[in-house]
Amino acid sequence: MTVEENNGVDPEETLAIGISFGNSNSGIAYTTAEGKAEVIANEEGDRQIPSILSYIGGEEFHGTQAKAQLVRNSQNTVAYFRDYIGKEFESIDPTPCHASAHPQKHDSTVSFSIQDVGADSPHDVSVSEITTRHIRRLASSASDYLGKKVNATVITVPTNFSDAQKEALSKSASSAGVDLLQVIPEPVSAVLAYDARPESKISDKLVVVADFGGTRSDVAVIASRGGMYSILSTAHDYSLGGAQLDNVLIDHFAKEFLKKNKSSSDPRSSPRGLAKLRLEAEATKRALSIGATASLSVESLSDGLDFSSTINRTRYEMLASKVFASFTKLIEEAVRKAELDVLDINEVILSGGTSHTPRIAANLSSLFPPTTTVLSPSTSATAINPSDLAARGAAIQASLIQEFEKEDIEQSSHPMVTVTPHLSRAIGVLVVSENVEKGVFRPLAEAETGVPLRRAGEFAVPRDGGDVIIKICEGISHIKVSKPPAKPKGEKKTNGKAASDDEDDLSDEDESEDEPEDVREKAWKVGNVLAETTIKGVKKGGKVEISVTVNADLTVLVTAREVGGKAGNGVRGRLEKPQVTENGSA
Amino acid sequence: MATAQTSLPLPVLPEGWSAPSDFKAIGVLSTPNQRNLEPVGPHFLAHARRKRHKRTFSEDER
Ligand SMILES: Nc1ncnc2c1ncn2[C@@H]1O[C@H](COP(=O)(O)OP(=O)(O)OP(=O)(O)O)[C@@H](O)[C@H]1O
Ligand SMILES: [Mg+2]
Repeated sequence: MTVEENNGVDPEETLAIGISFGNSNSGIAYTTAEGKAEVIANEEGDRQIPSILSYIGGEEFHGTQAKAQLVRNSQNTVAYFRDYIGKEFESIDPTPCHASAHPQKHDSTVSFSIQDVGADSPHDVSVSEITTRHIRRLASSASDYLGKKVNATVITVPTNFSDAQKEALSKSASSAGVDLLQVIPEPVSAVLAYDARPESKISDKLVVVADFGGTRSDVAVIASRGGMYSILSTAHDYSLGGAQLDNVLIDHFAKEFLKKNKSSSDPRSSPRGLAKLRLEAEATKRALSIGATASLSVESLSDGLDFSSTINRTRYEMLASKVFASFTKLIEEAVRKAELDVLDINEVILSGGTSHTPRIAANLSSLFPPTTTVLSPSTSATAINPSDLAARGAAIQASLIQEFEKEDIEQSSHPMVTVTPHLSRAIGVLVVSENVEKGVFRPLAEAETGVPLRRAGEFAVPRDGGDVIIKICEGISHIKVSKPPAKPKGEKKTNGKAASDDEDDLSDEDESEDEPEDVREKAWKVGNVLAETTIKGVKKGGKVEISVTVNADLTVLVTAREVGGKAGNGVRGRLEKPQVTENGSA
Repeated sequence: MATAQTSLPLPVLPEGWSAPSDFKAIGVLSTPNQRNLEPVGPHFLAHARRKRHKRTFSEDER
């Protein structure tokens, strides 16, 4: 946080890294001496390390090498297991594992029956043990890279990971010789990764974090207030992710193959054919995130026949348009759950591997108004690689807390410290007119800011200066809908037209042909007037600084002074806290 | 955080407005929402430190 007080006398020598742990991939990151988060490539040069372990010939394979085993050695390959940690067999969805070792019931948890190192027949290996082995491999790659033993970590998990799951994860980590300092939510880690960049300016903003992964997609709406984060809503879809996009390509290429080889059997009907097609289709899909066309080639795809083909991005986007629309829908759901409007969202952070897809980002750019920043590789030159975000945020958090006592970390994460009253309405100042009907509300502190808080702003004064009134009010944000200036009636909106539309540059023209849409804009309604005060004799062209402090006990302190004015010309006043019924929500 | 700048002017003080010490307390805050701050990031850690040591902003300033 602040400057390190050169206390390199830690007897324990904690070296903590950040780990993002997904069902599909994991990432490892550390924070440099300059405070910059860096993702570490493992021995194979991968920064996205498949969360897969595979056993063959008494050897353990990990990451990309293990993933390759999904073709020939699928039953001895454990993949997509993260969501099973700390869960009972009855409560899991085994679908993602249909083409690898199957999860099964094991005491009160889940296991996989595999023939691993030193075993001469398949036996039960619990998901906890698999997790330990995975974390051990990740930590060892990081230790190799850093040249020092990694012994602690911060791991990111979805927002709906239960306490039991976190507990199980912590045990698995310590069995791997790694102390799990803290488990943090993936979307919060992504926001931190952006905020921790030296060029970032801390501000009050509403952020949507869209995490589009391999087997699932998760969206969170986060109030980011002075660098502190509160989750307002989440939405999850466990059957939406990159795998659905792979399926689109698998079906497309399988049909192409069958067109060319009329008498061959369907490559999707054999597990091996399907596994080969899946691996290659995924690579083709990734290539389509960068290039306008991509190829696929598979040796001996079906009945010993080789296959190669190409596809262009336009075609892919048409075939996948339904899946793409589901990503947009999930975001709309999260925004609705937070009782917000797309106009309220200042920033959309695209996270997770699937977020590399240009079409998904383009769809979001049209869902949100132009004032919303969409942070993805194809929409922003300064975007961070979406696959790296969670690990980078975890590395930042790890560097912040690695020197802390365990007890301090626990205390700080305790509800006594984290559960805090948040403003239900913005607090601001009326400008232009002191009449609440005519005045313009300018917020100082936004709704959903946790207390204690302090915000200040500088305000212009009337042309000739003089005595001004400062009216501190609450503001209620709403969406004002109005008819656009009358135009000749256009045609009725035709739905479904855009779906068959391949060319990017046509879509804009399409819209302008439609009936003019209502104009929707964010506006403020003035709520309670909290206080009035004045600064007298402000000089011509002067400015007044106004600050509002809301204390932890909800009393409010208001101060105002002329900027650069004489000392002692300011005013200050206090407001009592609201009378709350003690049995209110807490 | 950077201080926000507003270019629209503050209203002129209405004729006859007066209050002891030039300050009128009129209302109180609307009932706030209880929410969870995520225990993540440097700003939260500063908040937690203040809260645990029951310090105010100014007492916490370096
Ligand atoms: N450049 C790319 N373009 C398109 N898709 C990509 C790209 N890179 C990775 N992906 C896809 O991203 C998905 C993996 O995303 P990520 O690594 O975020 O998953 P995860 O969080 O580990 O998985 P899960 O959602 O299963 O928990 C895969 O479907 C992969 O094909
Ligand atoms: Mg993920």
